[in-house]
Amino acid sequence: MEYTQAEILQTVRMTEIEHLDVRTVTLGLSLRDCVRSSIEETAEAVREKIERTASRLVPTVNEIGEEYGLRVANKRISITPASLVAGRARSAQELLPLARAIDEAAGKVGVDFIGGYTALVHKGFTRGESVFVDSIPEALATTERLCSSLNVATTRAGINMDAVRRTGEIVKEMAELTRERGGLACAKFVCFANAVEDNPFMAGAFHGVGEPEAVVNVGVSGPGVVNHAVRHAPKDAPLDEMAELIKRLSFKLARAGELIGREAARRLGLRFGIIDLSLAPTPTPGDSVAEIIEALGFERAGTHGTTAALALLTDAVKKGGAMASSAVGGMSGAFIPVSEDDGMIKAARDGALTLDKLEAWTSVCSVGIDMVAVPGSTTAETIAAIIADEMAVGVMNNKTTAVRIIPVPGKDVGDTVEFGGLLGTAPIMPVHKFSSDAFIRRGGRIPAPIHSLRN
Amino acid sequence: MANEELIYRITRAVYARLGADADERTVEALVTDIYRAIEPVVGADGGARSRESPDTAAGHGEGRADRLIISVFGLDHPGIVAGVSQVLAEARCSIIDINQTVVSGKFAMVIVADISQARESAAALKDRFRGEGERLGVRVYAQREDLFNAMHRI
Repeated sequence: MEYTQAEILQTVRMTEIEHLDVRTVTLGLSLRDCVRSSIEETAEAVREKIERTASRLVPTVNEIGEEYGLRVANKRISITPASLVAGRARSAQELLPLARAIDEAAGKVGVDFIGGYTALVHKGFTRGESVFVDSIPEALATTERLCSSLNVATTRAGINMDAVRRTGEIVKEMAELTRERGGLACAKFVCFANAVEDNPFMAGAFHGVGEPEAVVNVGVSGPGVVNHAVRHAPKDAPLDEMAELIKRLSFKLARAGELIGREAARRLGLRFGIIDLSLAPTPTPGDSVAEIIEALGFERAGTHGTTAALALLTDAVKKGGAMASSAVGGMSGAFIPVSEDDGMIKAARDGALTLDKLEAWTSVCSVGIDMVAVPGSTTAETIAAIIADEMAVGVMNNKTTAVRIIPVPGKDVGDTVEFGGLLGTAPIMPVHKFSSDAFIRRGGRIPAPIHSLRN
Repeated sequence: MANEELIYRITRAVYARLGADADERTVEALVTDIYRAIEPVVGADGGARSRESPDTAAGHGEGRADRLIISVFGLDHPGIVAGVSQVLAEARCSIIDINQTVVSGKFAMVIVADISQARESAAALKDRFRGEGERLGVRVYAQREDLFNAMHRI
């Protein structure tokens, strides 16, 4: 036989028992040729282009998944930042037909999320972008599949603190607008420092301006596979051996993902873009990044030493993937969305995992304070301050960081909010009680760090 | 391309039988004859390949898109091999390789099947296997071969 029984067994075990799947095949689509003289015409052009280009995406990817016996969990679309095609809207209301057209087109082609209701405002707002940002809460509250993001900081530009402050306000606004659904709109919005242009993962995916017409990007996953391997390794194995073990597995995951991505691109007649290696957890027991950390030798994720463990994990994943494929891109690290990870939920409930520790983690992994629920009484300024901290981590460390936070209306520490499906369940986590208001109200810009002067 | 490792192993086996003082030319001739005799069976790289190995996989240089690896696991009882191979026969797929063991009542089998002449799509075949697996009380998994190639071969 060309493959040993052990190799065949390992593959079957990974795909059937340890939840190895391709987390997402995301079609990146440029909408820059859809700009028309009115927003209604633009919306129709956008709708038509999405429906035409992505019509075969879902059936084709499902077919490939069946053939390979490797599940492709999600089929998604990322589009050119909508603020770039929205033109000169004078009010937020004017933009809603565009948001709805994008959402309806996504529904028609059968994808679960479409990302790119986005603006890049790290150095300032244009007039159109200012109106666009105002439209985000209602756009997300009145659509189902639309995801939105704002890039408010880069290492080159520094942090736009006016944008950070606005972001705090719109997060509160969208929580209120979706009050009866636990503030669900906030789960579809993410705020970035150093956003990447080819990220296939939601809610932050958009099709960057440097990208070609249409590409197929793939997000591989497999916390379950790594978790299983780490748990079955000798308990006293030194950490360099654990890093090696994770690296080897990551290599295999990346190869499988690239195979699927290239095949999907070939059948769709599109270019293959990148493979994102991020370990992305799901609420399924065992498919957890927190459990991998715990398996390395901790009672609970979030305790002392777990930042070091996460650094090891993220680096090993990157190294294995980089050896497997020359098309690595996106975030490529480990995601730590609290509500989507069984182990994180437990750790947060037990008080082992705090917002402060999550922030520390994000200095060594992608991506950020992700799917964290906080009390509904949290002020817009406090949310902006949490965002500011996270943006500083990204800007100073020359990496992508993000915040996806939900101030759940009417809930407080000790409560739980249920979003359902992939978005999972979140225990409400405490925030600091002391005010950051005066700092946030200063506004302005935190200048780019000295190491941005690289030319 | 000759498989040096295999030639080395044959040479050692011949020397082990004939003794270290065997005539060098005789050994060389013997090794060449043996290698030629088994080469078509094992393939140039020593793996147990099928006789015709030109790679016709669509779009890929490695692994084969027209082969399925079918793995079957469960409690042993008569009829499992028959049931699974019946599905393949009906779909006009030929078995390229088959490996089956029973360890303390647990049945495990791996089949490599050529589906290039199949009457049904890979997806439809998988459905058939799922049904047959349920009937036989075993788990049947079918996956395209190039997945294994991507994951386990550089």
